[in-house]
Amino acid sequence: MIEVMNFTKRYGDFVAVDDLSFTIGKGEVFGFIGPNGAGKSTTIRFLATLLRPTSGEGRVAGHSVVAEPMAVRRVIGFMPDDFGVYDGMKVWEFLDFFAVAYEIPLAYRKKIIGEVLELLDLTHKRDAYVNGLSKGMKQRLCLAKTLIHDPPVLILDEPASGLDPRARLEMKALLNELRGMGKTILVSSHILSELSDFCTSIGIIERGKLLAAGSIQEIQRRLRSHRVIKVRVLDESTDRAAAILRDDRGVHTVERYDHTVTAEFEGQDEDMARLLGRLITAGVTIQSFAEEPLSLEEVFMMITKGIVN
Amino acid sequence: MLIRDNPVLTRELLVNLRSPRAFALQVAYVAFLAAVVYFYWPPEAGGTSQVGPGKARRLFDLFFFGQFFLIALVAPTFAAGSITGEKERKTYEMLLSSPLQPTTILIGKLLGSLSYLVILIVSSLPLMILCFLLGGILLSEIARAYLVLVMAAVTFGLLSVGCSSIFRRTSSALMVSYLVILPSAVLCLWLTRSDPNNLVQREFVSFLTVAVLPPWCLALWTVVAIVISRRLLRPPDVGSEGKDVVDEEEELKYAIGVVIDRDLFPDKLFAPAKRTELMPDGTNPVLDKELRSEIFSQGTLMLRVVIQVSMVLSIPLMAFLLFVRWERAAYYVAYVLTFNLLVGPVFSAGSITQERERQTLSLLLTTLLTPRRIILAKLLAALRVSTVLTFLLTEQLFLAYFLVRELRDRIWTLLVFLLIIATTCLATTTIGLLCSTLSRRTSVAIVLTYMTLLALFIGPVGLDWYLQGFSFTPERLAALTITSPYSAAFSITMPLNRGTGFSIEQPNVPPPVLVELIPGLGLGLPVWAWFLMLYPPLCLVLFGVTYLAFRWRWWRAGGLG
Repeated sequence: MIEVMNFTKRYGDFVAVDDLSFTIGKGEVFGFIGPNGAGKSTTIRFLATLLRPTSGEGRVAGHSVVAEPMAVRRVIGFMPDDFGVYDGMKVWEFLDFFAVAYEIPLAYRKKIIGEVLELLDLTHKRDAYVNGLSKGMKQRLCLAKTLIHDPPVLILDEPASGLDPRARLEMKALLNELRGMGKTILVSSHILSELSDFCTSIGIIERGKLLAAGSIQEIQRRLRSHRVIKVRVLDESTDRAAAILRDDRGVHTVERYDHTVTAEFEGQDEDMARLLGRLITAGVTIQSFAEEPLSLEEVFMMITKGIVN
Repeated sequence: MLIRDNPVLTRELLVNLRSPRAFALQVAYVAFLAAVVYFYWPPEAGGTSQVGPGKARRLFDLFFFGQFFLIALVAPTFAAGSITGEKERKTYEMLLSSPLQPTTILIGKLLGSLSYLVILIVSSLPLMILCFLLGGILLSEIARAYLVLVMAAVTFGLLSVGCSSIFRRTSSALMVSYLVILPSAVLCLWLTRSDPNNLVQREFVSFLTVAVLPPWCLALWTVVAIVISRRLLRPPDVGSEGKDVVDEEEELKYAIGVVIDRDLFPDKLFAPAKRTELMPDGTNPVLDKELRSEIFSQGTLMLRVVIQVSMVLSIPLMAFLLFVRWERAAYYVAYVLTFNLLVGPVFSAGSITQERERQTLSLLLTTLLTPRRIILAKLLAALRVSTVLTFLLTEQLFLAYFLVRELRDRIWTLLVFLLIIATTCLATTTIGLLCSTLSRRTSVAIVLTYMTLLALFIGPVGLDWYLQGFSFTPERLAALTITSPYSAAFSITMPLNRGTGFSIEQPNVPPPVLVELIPGLGLGLPVWAWFLMLYPPLCLVLFGVTYLAFRWRWWRAGGLG
């Protein structure tokens, strides 16, 4: 449904996106992940026909993003990461504006606006002014606008950024519902846990390069060799513990906070036991020594941090 | 703390003066003034020998008036954005929550925005002294002129900072500043004009400028400074980024003077009533949105101020220029044109940049709306508001042509005046829209529009005045002014008034100056005819350029990236 082929975008000497290629099949939910400034928004804007590539091509539902922007706009619903609303407009006027802009005839408009408001739980705000809505409401309104012409493809840039935990959960439930409706969704985020539940596949991007793409399990498996050890120390021997850990061959990075030392570790269970032994013989009073289970967020941190450092 | 180590001032100075552009502009300004003096320098003067005082005085006046108007025009462009800029960049609350005193902020903003202007004025001093060498001018006159210039700079700057603290957008602040400053600048010059040969009058004017003006200015500064400081100390316009929903009905309850009612004529001409039903098929949604929803998006304050000030000013002008001295009807038209010059760009110069600044452009551009429909809607909406507001001021013209017999006898001139005004509305809107498409920020677009319009509309008038000192034929001079609606209005000859030999039976109408643009063709037309022929096709071309620029810069070029 969505194909990106060797997409490159340069601004002068700066390469925002470098030779990016990936494919998203029909009905898939693709999580596009990367730190701020990685090139996610650039790629998304390219797919939303807002950006001309330096080189490369993209296709959405068989239409070229470069050559047939109008055909692409007809099949996508786009929600930018940062968007504003028009002043002096009520919720229904805002949706009517976009419905007319998407050439929906009057006969259907009333029904569709009602349905979309219902879906996003905004019916009670129908006559409220849009610039008086809270951030979460605005985000939902923008999603309503995105759905108004019932597009088969949704391109959502950071739909949950800046939302409080409840609004975040609600947004997640909504996206799940949209997935159930059979829509192909490209959704970007820098918060992986948000996506892990319902994404069928993910792509991790940093500094304009695609570092990993595929299903979540696949990527997790690839990174299993990295483990994180968390050591809690009782007294003032935290420094000593950190020094010993840093000294070890298998340890990559060490971070300490208060009485806790966290180490990124590469090795087998025996190596871990040996490390624990060294700490005890050095007289460190250990309260707990355990391996942290690898969350998707940490997977992401590991992949991306490697390049930044 | 107020001036030394004032962080606000330091920042403003850095931003305004650090750029190479500021230096280049200063060099260009001094070079321009030097060229004016060089070409004006009488060939017979040869060194320091003195010539007749007439020429020296003309040059002195040119410098003084030129710089006075430069201050009136440029001071607001720097100062009116000084506080609204903070609001637009969302740094206002950070600034206010700092331990800085309101006075410190105010002084920093004021001096920061005036510093560049003052540097420009001071750098013209050596050239002004040259006029002194020509003789006929006293050194005290030069000193007085600079005193007036500095006082004007501070007054106009302070008024603009005041507007900036009241309004939320630079465009509103800028326009209201101009609306307050330009009439007072003209009034100020008119009050202090003096006949160079009348010694008593000259003495009186110098008494005015040295003894009367400074204390009044000081009083005004104090009042404005107190008002601004209060607003900075307890800002009524922060919270929710200062842009909560504007409730029109609530606002109108507290409005002073004119209220705007969308259901009544003529208000509904520029602000049609809000929809209660969905739009019918085939509506241009952008046009509908601009007129019905967005026109009062920042409240009705700006429009109410504009309508009231322009109406109040028009009454004495009408009485004097259309009834007492009806042969000066063109001066009233000039007032209407100035109003449009100020108001027209505000509605068009922000139309594209504001979509960008409010981050709605990407929503708009991913719909199925074609760039042609978007741009056309923007043009029509801005043109409608600007034209209706401007034509509200022409009812006085209709009244005069109905009541004054001498004007009624030349009814065709009314038609030409109206055409000139309508053409000017079209020109200001089209140029504003072009600048909005080419700029990234509304404040830049508005200043760019004003500068372009000044170059097209006022520039030729100034050039004409300057070149009168040379031996050009009136036809050659008039040919330079066909881009100016002012020259077009003044080129419509009116019969001389009673006192100078008027009779109804044989109205004494001086022959118009005919301009032949293409020599040898024998097509001599007055300036107004050229003006009316020039602008419609020019606007069409500019609109085409705007369309292409919008298409390439925003619609397909990723200017949003």
